[in-house]
Amino acid sequence: MTTPLLEIEDLYAGVCDKEIIKGFNLTINEGEVHALMGPNGAGKSTLSNILCGKEGYSVTSGSIRFKGKNLLAMSPEERAREGIFLAMQYPVEIPGVPTSTFLKHAVNSIRKYQNLPELDTMEFIKMLREEGRKLGIDADMIKRSLNVGFSGGEKKRLETLQMSILKPSFAILDEADSGLDIDALKVVSDGVNALRDGKRSMLVITHYQRLLNYVVPDFVHVYADGKIVKSGGKDLALELEEKGYAEFVKEK
Amino acid sequence: MNNLLQNVKLLGSESPWLSRLRQSGSSAFKEQGFPSAKTEAWKYTKLRELKSKDFIISQTTSDTTAIELPFDCYKICFENGWFCPSSSNLPQGVEVIPLIEAILFHPELHNYICKLANINTHPFVALNQAYLQEGVFIKIEKNVNIKKPLAIISHTEGSDINLLFNLRNIIVLDENSAATVVEYHTYSGDTKSGYLANIVNEIYLASNANLQHYKVQDEAFKANHIAFSAVSQNRCSKYQSFCLQRGANIGRNETLVQLKDEGAETEINAAYLMDGWATLDTTTNVEHLAPHTYSHQLIKGVVSGNAKGVFQGKIHIAPNAIGTEGNQLHKALLLSDNAEVDVKPELEIYADDVKCSHGAASGELDEEQLFYMRSRGIGIEEAKQLLIDAYLDEITTKIDNEKISQWIKLITQENRK
Ligand SMILES: Nc1ncnc2c1ncn2[C@@H]1O[C@H](COP(=O)(O)OP(=O)(O)O)[C@@H](O)[C@H]1O
Ligand SMILES: [Mg+2]
Repeated sequence: MTTPLLEIEDLYAGVCDKEIIKGFNLTINEGEVHALMGPNGAGKSTLSNILCGKEGYSVTSGSIRFKGKNLLAMSPEERAREGIFLAMQYPVEIPGVPTSTFLKHAVNSIRKYQNLPELDTMEFIKMLREEGRKLGIDADMIKRSLNVGFSGGEKKRLETLQMSILKPSFAILDEADSGLDIDALKVVSDGVNALRDGKRSMLVITHYQRLLNYVVPDFVHVYADGKIVKSGGKDLALELEEKGYAEFVKEK
Repeated sequence: MNNLLQNVKLLGSESPWLSRLRQSGSSAFKEQGFPSAKTEAWKYTKLRELKSKDFIISQTTSDTTAIELPFDCYKICFENGWFCPSSSNLPQGVEVIPLIEAILFHPELHNYICKLANINTHPFVALNQAYLQEGVFIKIEKNVNIKKPLAIISHTEGSDINLLFNLRNIIVLDENSAATVVEYHTYSGDTKSGYLANIVNEIYLASNANLQHYKVQDEAFKANHIAFSAVSQNRCSKYQSFCLQRGANIGRNETLVQLKDEGAETEINAAYLMDGWATLDTTTNVEHLAPHTYSHQLIKGVVSGNAKGVFQGKIHIAPNAIGTEGNQLHKALLLSDNAEVDVKPELEIYADDVKCSHGAASGELDEEQLFYMRSRGIGIEEAKQLLIDAYLDEITTKIDNEKISQWIKLITQENRK
């Protein structure tokens, strides 16, 4: 059997002495799209931040392996270079750093790690324009400071753009649908679906079932009280929408 | 401590007028000595290290080093404080004259020199005047607009001898004239050289004159750079300045602006970048002496290591200066636990109906922003640099001249390899 892409084993973790993740297990293989659904405050963003190496969280026990390597020993940038990408629930604004400059540094950092030649400005801008057009992101937005003055929807589209440019092997989408109207939701989902190539894996984190009508997962997990309480196929999302989370939390 | 007043042979000693000026500078310095820890104006910038050194008055020009600038400009070059005709490139038809020549042959200079910079309140000005000889006299005639920047380049060849040199620049813009002056203070050789560059500028802007004054202080890491600029502004004149300090162990850039008639406007922008044990001081004193005068100041610092940034900013609004606007903002980015900034804003408002504000903020790099960048594969050092560049961008974009702005931006980025 081939090594799974991501293996989270019996993870316990928290923030400021507060235990949030309590015995979390999940295995994701190459090409699989998993949905993780849970109520507000369940610890979904905490899990995605821990996967990306954000400081301020403490892992008390358990392990996370990515492509067979110990993920917890890597810095955030190493994880990104290894192919992890997090489309954030709340993308950060960085005044003074143009979106294009930021992305060029990101692309070339990753290419350098992969022993690929760095892209020159012309090549890069051309690629950025092309990918941007598909997501309705114009040249003007790309020139502006990163996320500054962007609407909620624009920020989410920009996260999707980053993902399509950085081409991660594993993408985590944390509430990619929050704050999107139906049209924007379609644009973002189309962008995400375009990246489903049978090799790339995804963890789609969401609160509502809505997004999963567009980005149809292979597996659905219900996350409550720090762990997965139920797993199933895509129909589980519908069941969840019908019954509400309370039902599942009781079940365990 | 008065070993600084050495008996050296200066040019022009046959001129009684010049000798008297030097004599009064020398006496004033002897009387005051260096500022002490008790001197209010120097409260945060300690001179202990500077005072412990023996300085030798620079008396020879070594081989000249040609300094290239990435923009087209006229050049007035100094090597170890001595004017260098061979590397200079002076404009035709505009008065740009080496100071000693102007002193001896252009009596007109006597109206301007040693008038704005006060020897009794500024010991370093007194010291500068005691050795009055080198510098430049720039006079732009009425209605003349010099498009090409005039660059005053002071290059020091760093060695184990602690040289002292004094430069005095007199810049006069007649009515309705305009010019861009760039001051570039740089060095080569021994980076640990402990020389002292003591610079005084006296600047006169007549009605409607417009001066853009950009300065880069990029001295050796152990050097001392003390500069004082006094600016006198007439009706509707405009002074726009920017100073980047990033070299020297002790660096001070002090500016006194007197807004003497209605409509005069001044803009003082400055940035400092520092590391090690350096102290870099930006001191401003803006005097609104007439109604409807305007001043804007933005100062930003990036401090790491054990370094200390100092900002002292005074805005004085005279009783008759109604309808005046003065604002001032200092911000600092502290990159290490031992980095420090000392800030002293002072507002003296004697008039009604004025708009005056000051503010100060210091902080660290934003963790969320750093994480966001790193989560996209950007290494931590590169991410920090991008954030620092962004931080300084706010101020370097205020430089109107695109090429000079670009040049200064690059210098700020070079600082952190
Ligand atoms: N930095 C923090 N400090 C303290 N508590 C936190 C912090 N971050 C998250 N929490 C708490 O952890 C829990 C999980 O939060 P989060 O992971 O954001 O949930 P979700 O994304 O599932 O809505 C919440 O109760 C939240 O208040
Ligand atoms: Mg969340």
